[in-house]
Amino acid sequence: MLSRVADSLYWMSRYMERTDGILRMLRINYASSQDDIQDFSWKPALRIFSYIAEKDAGTVAQNSREVLQYMVTDRENANSVLSIVTRARENARSVQDHITKELWQCLNEFYHIIRDGQVARGLHADDPISILDVLIRQGLLYYGTTDVTMARGEGYAFINIGKFLERGVQSADILDIKFSDLQYDFTLMDTNYWKYLLLSISGYELYLKTYRTGFEARNVVELIVLNEDFPRSVIYSVNQLYRYFERLKSDRNKEAYLKIEFMIGRIRSRVKYSTVESILEHGLHSYLKGLKQDLYEVGNAFNLHYFAYT
Amino acid sequence: MQTSDLLNSYVVDPNTWDEMYAHSDVRQQYQHVVEFLQQMNIEELNKKEEMAKKMFMSQGITFTVYNSGEGIEKIFPFDIIPRIITASEWTYIESGIRQRLKALNLFLKDVYNSQFILKDGVVPTEMVYSCPHFLREMHGFQVPHDIYVHVAGIDLIRDQDGTFYILEDNLRTPSGVSYMLENREITKRIFPDLIPRNNVRTVTEYPDILHRNLVSLSPRQTANPTIVLLTPGIYNSAYFEHTTLARLMGVELVEGRDLVIDNHRVYMKTTSGLQRVDVIYRRVDDEFLDPLVFRPDSMLGVAGIISAYRKGNVAIVNAPGNGVADDKAIYAYVPAMIRYYLNEEPILKNVPTYQLGNREEQEYVFSNMNRMVVKKTNESGGYGMLMGHTASDEEIQRYQAEILKDPRQYIAQPIISLSSAPCYMNGRMQPRRIDLRPYALCGPDGIQIVPGGLTRVALREGSLVVNSSQGGGSKDTWVLAS
Repeated sequence: MLSRVADSLYWMSRYMERTDGILRMLRINYASSQDDIQDFSWKPALRIFSYIAEKDAGTVAQNSREVLQYMVTDRENANSVLSIVTRARENARSVQDHITKELWQCLNEFYHIIRDGQVARGLHADDPISILDVLIRQGLLYYGTTDVTMARGEGYAFINIGKFLERGVQSADILDIKFSDLQYDFTLMDTNYWKYLLLSISGYELYLKTYRTGFEARNVVELIVLNEDFPRSVIYSVNQLYRYFERLKSDRNKEAYLKIEFMIGRIRSRVKYSTVESILEHGLHSYLKGLKQDLYEVGNAFNLHYFAYT
Repeated sequence: MQTSDLLNSYVVDPNTWDEMYAHSDVRQQYQHVVEFLQQMNIEELNKKEEMAKKMFMSQGITFTVYNSGEGIEKIFPFDIIPRIITASEWTYIESGIRQRLKALNLFLKDVYNSQFILKDGVVPTEMVYSCPHFLREMHGFQVPHDIYVHVAGIDLIRDQDGTFYILEDNLRTPSGVSYMLENREITKRIFPDLIPRNNVRTVTEYPDILHRNLVSLSPRQTANPTIVLLTPGIYNSAYFEHTTLARLMGVELVEGRDLVIDNHRVYMKTTSGLQRVDVIYRRVDDEFLDPLVFRPDSMLGVAGIISAYRKGNVAIVNAPGNGVADDKAIYAYVPAMIRYYLNEEPILKNVPTYQLGNREEQEYVFSNMNRMVVKKTNESGGYGMLMGHTASDEEIQRYQAEILKDPRQYIAQPIISLSSAPCYMNGRMQPRRIDLRPYALCGPDGIQIVPGGLTRVALREGSLVVNSSQGGGSKDTWVLAS
């Protein structure tokens, strides 16, 4: 496979994963902003998914509709869903002969839907949840189409590598920022705070089934970092990353393969053989920071060894 | 309002050949379609039109216009009513194109090797050497199977009495074939059952034939040669076509930056190292192909590709340097080439062409400017053209002054009143001028012309310019089996 093609598939997939993450986060944050307006702030969400300056975040973060417009349809914001979907589509466009026609059409439709004035108008004046649901569903269509139509070759491996690398970084990031918002104070017992966090990454129901003792910060950490059955956990993402990376094994380019295999393998062991206790002992922030750093380095190694960046 | 009213409002210019109407009778080939349309009302037709537009948009059959930083997706306008060519018309067109291509190929081989045709004075030597597309780099190089033109898109038009004329031979990187394929797919969707009922010949084999021809050009004796389609990239207006063809042939779509040359061999950069490339179907123009040989500032090509080509380590399709054969001034000599190389009379006619470099012809043209169309020999897409019948005196004077600066750069032709065909526009059936571009593929087994082509439409009323860059659209083009 051409290096440029692998690169584009990988980024198409990362951008789509990010799109899904943003939209779910926005949907739940909006819902919680309708619930308990006094304590609510958009700041953490803005910090996770955009590069907005601290002082600007303060003013934007007050107004839900403004945040939604900024994060979904703002053309100036390089991290808005519109900008990201546009980039995912550009990547897909340049590898149309490597993705199925269905997949291309799905992304192309997403692009046309989000650029349609209706989305911006709806976010401004209508029920934002219905609008976000339409967009989330279009993203699910992307996942399903990829799964059902794409051949299980190298391209599919790169799509999944991008997806799970992005997801791993995202989950670590969400956890880190949500806790930093509380100054990593584990004693705080705000049920709603954890509930909405878990809802935003579709982990609420699993949490309820796993823990019967109500909401506790350390359980939240355990679920998001260490639960192998939770599809958005760090360990799940890293396991999947490893699994799809293994498919790239070949006699050609062996040196590069072994190098990256070592890197991912090390992250995997580190997470697998952690416990909540060891993480807290280490310090949650520095643990998550180290994890993110390692994942970024895997990304850089792909650029160098597989995507022919010079 | 019923469609019969729509047809009543269809007024054909008496000095124009209409594809659907002969006097006030519907031609036989259009009868089924007219009956079918008569069963529909305006709302239904509007719905079909809307559906076609949506399909083009959602499939991404678009080109991007970059305005003020933001890309806007545009579709190439499509008219829902097909253009129909009868079996006998097609047999005639096919034989004419085949003959012409045979001669043009021989001309290219000759002009880049022994140059008998120049020595015998059939084509003036200065005409060839003054052509900017004549590449000295191609001299004395034997191309695989002696084929220079692998893909040609020959433009045909019809005069007021229905005679077909060749307007242009596009022998470099003719585009539009994806619209031949996609327009047909759209018609299948918007008019179910209409195609089988009319006995229309299929066009779907085009990518298979092209792929077979490309495989046969591989310089390496290997069962599975690497074939690539070289595109200028996603910002090119024909990018959709490049992806479609790559997908339909199952070949790799590459950009210049994906390729490297090592020891006069072409490789592509892959995730598992370098992979040798055997055949390049390039959609990048000659001048951008190799910065070492042509334009040094080109980022679209590959440094060293021409030397790899000359060593015989890679095949390039179409051959570089074909522009000398489809130059608008050389065009006038194609009938002479056919007589010279094949000893046959040309089957398809040329439009009479006056060389403005020739003093007498120039005088004639200047005194008949309002009946002439003047074109620049090295421009295409309808740029740099003057239509004498609509231009003001002032425009004509300015243009004449331009011509006198470098007369070799210009030719003139009498204005041909292109044939018209019915188009569905604004809820009415209206005649619009059309041309026809069939696509011919030349391989070691001979020349094959897929029964169909691209019919381009001048969407503005009365306009004779069909180029897409000048606001033209297109139609599905049917060739009937019997």
